[in-house]
Amino acid sequence: MTLMDSLLVSLMGFAIVFLVLILLSVLIKLQSLVLRYIMEAMGKSTDMSIVLAEGGTVLAELPEVRDEGWSAGELKLIGVDEKTAAMIMAIVSDESQIPLSELQFKMIKAIDQEI
Amino acid sequence: MSISLLDTLLKVWNNSAFPVITWQQVVMICVAGILIYMAIVKKYEPLLLLPIAFGVILANLPMANLMAPPPADGSGTGGLLYYIYLGVKLGIYPSLIFLGIGAMTDFGPLIARPSSLFLGAAAQLGIYIAFTVAVVLGFNPQEAASIAIIGGADGPTAIFLSSKLAPELLPAIAIAAYSYMALIPMIQPPIMRFLTSKKEREIEMVQLREVSKLERIVFPIVVTIVVCLLLPAVAPLLGMLMLGNLFRESGVVQRLSDTVQNALINIVTIFLATTVGATAVAEVFLSPETLKIVFLGLMAFIFSTIGGLLLGKLMCLLSGGKVNPLIGSAGVSAVPMAARVAQAEGQRANPANFLLMHAMGPNVAGVIGSAVAAGFLLTMFG
Repeated sequence: MTLMDSLLVSLMGFAIVFLVLILLSVLIKLQSLVLRYIMEAMGKSTDMSIVLAEGGTVLAELPEVRDEGWSAGELKLIGVDEKTAAMIMAIVSDESQIPLSELQFKMIKAIDQEI
Repeated sequence: MSISLLDTLLKVWNNSAFPVITWQQVVMICVAGILIYMAIVKKYEPLLLLPIAFGVILANLPMANLMAPPPADGSGTGGLLYYIYLGVKLGIYPSLIFLGIGAMTDFGPLIARPSSLFLGAAAQLGIYIAFTVAVVLGFNPQEAASIAIIGGADGPTAIFLSSKLAPELLPAIAIAAYSYMALIPMIQPPIMRFLTSKKEREIEMVQLREVSKLERIVFPIVVTIVVCLLLPAVAPLLGMLMLGNLFRESGVVQRLSDTVQNALINIVTIFLATTVGATAVAEVFLSPETLKIVFLGLMAFIFSTIGGLLLGKLMCLLSGGKVNPLIGSAGVSAVPMAARVAQAEGQRANPANFLLMHAMGPNVAGVIGSAVAAGFLLTMFG
């Protein structure tokens, strides 16, 4: 195989990968539009299965969680004790390197399922 | 009958493999020692490097004949690993691994932002650059294609393609692919910092939209039908990947999903890695070609990262600064290592930056992209 042949194969291969993935992205967009239209037509709200935290981190599939009414100041705790909540806040502060005093937590909710 | 201790010891020695071991085999056993060190001490892809390394030891023990085929006259049986290796030779194990990967993969971020697929495509650049350079270095097209696929950063795909196109290069390609995947946290960050400005790395991306369960279920079915109709050669890998994902997303076959992402993938990994290591016999492995493969593999990885980053920068520009170009580097399919590296680099520039889920889109797109690239190369040279 000559250099020119290999360059041609490379260009074609790269173009095909792009074409296939562009086609897929168009299909995914179409699929989303059609499915949302169908769901709306059926009068159902789509089943939410991903919940993103404020920073964009996936938490988990959220089942209905019973509100146990815990509260620590303005922070609402659901299914979480104060000690665990303090630990979570400290971890978030440490990971994000934002001082705890500059972070505002609104709610910490326990979930049943694994991530 | 008199039994002399010395004669007995001499007999044992002469019947042992020690007198016939070659220096090349000793070198290979030392190479295996280094791989075991990397796996246990450095924790570089231990699930794969450890069995690969032990397979290298087994393959280089003279007279053990673990990879020996059965005699042609049918008078006996072959070695244990010869039969287990048939799963690699026939392309069964990589496809089964893809089944498990599919069951472990969340395509939600990709469905939420389909443009991630462009980044997964751009990050296959290294495959094609490595292919051209490999041809220039004197490899035939089949060998060049097998080496180039290392740039896809996808071990099962690399094994699948090279077992079909250039089985003699399989051990070097597999070891290079998995070693570089383990080294992603060292290979990618300097390139990421070199190609992006601090301002770009600081970009915070908006939250991804919600993805419904129905979309998740339809996705693997649509992808399988469309891609396998376009490139039938990719069906074993992509079909299994999507079947595993359907198990996961359907929610009705929890037992199957659990089996393929745990028990099955673990068993297949043992068979695959040990036998791939066992193909690394001294006469084949200790050659200048191996060094060329190591060099070309690294080059492919670097250019794949560059391809993803450059398109990431373009998308950043076109979106008015809404896309952080770092997520482009995650287009190499090493899941989830490449996405974690993008997250770490983003957070290093801006501690409030959470890119992980945004990087997971290109990351899983890279798996599809490298499978498509392998399908193309198989169609061309298979």
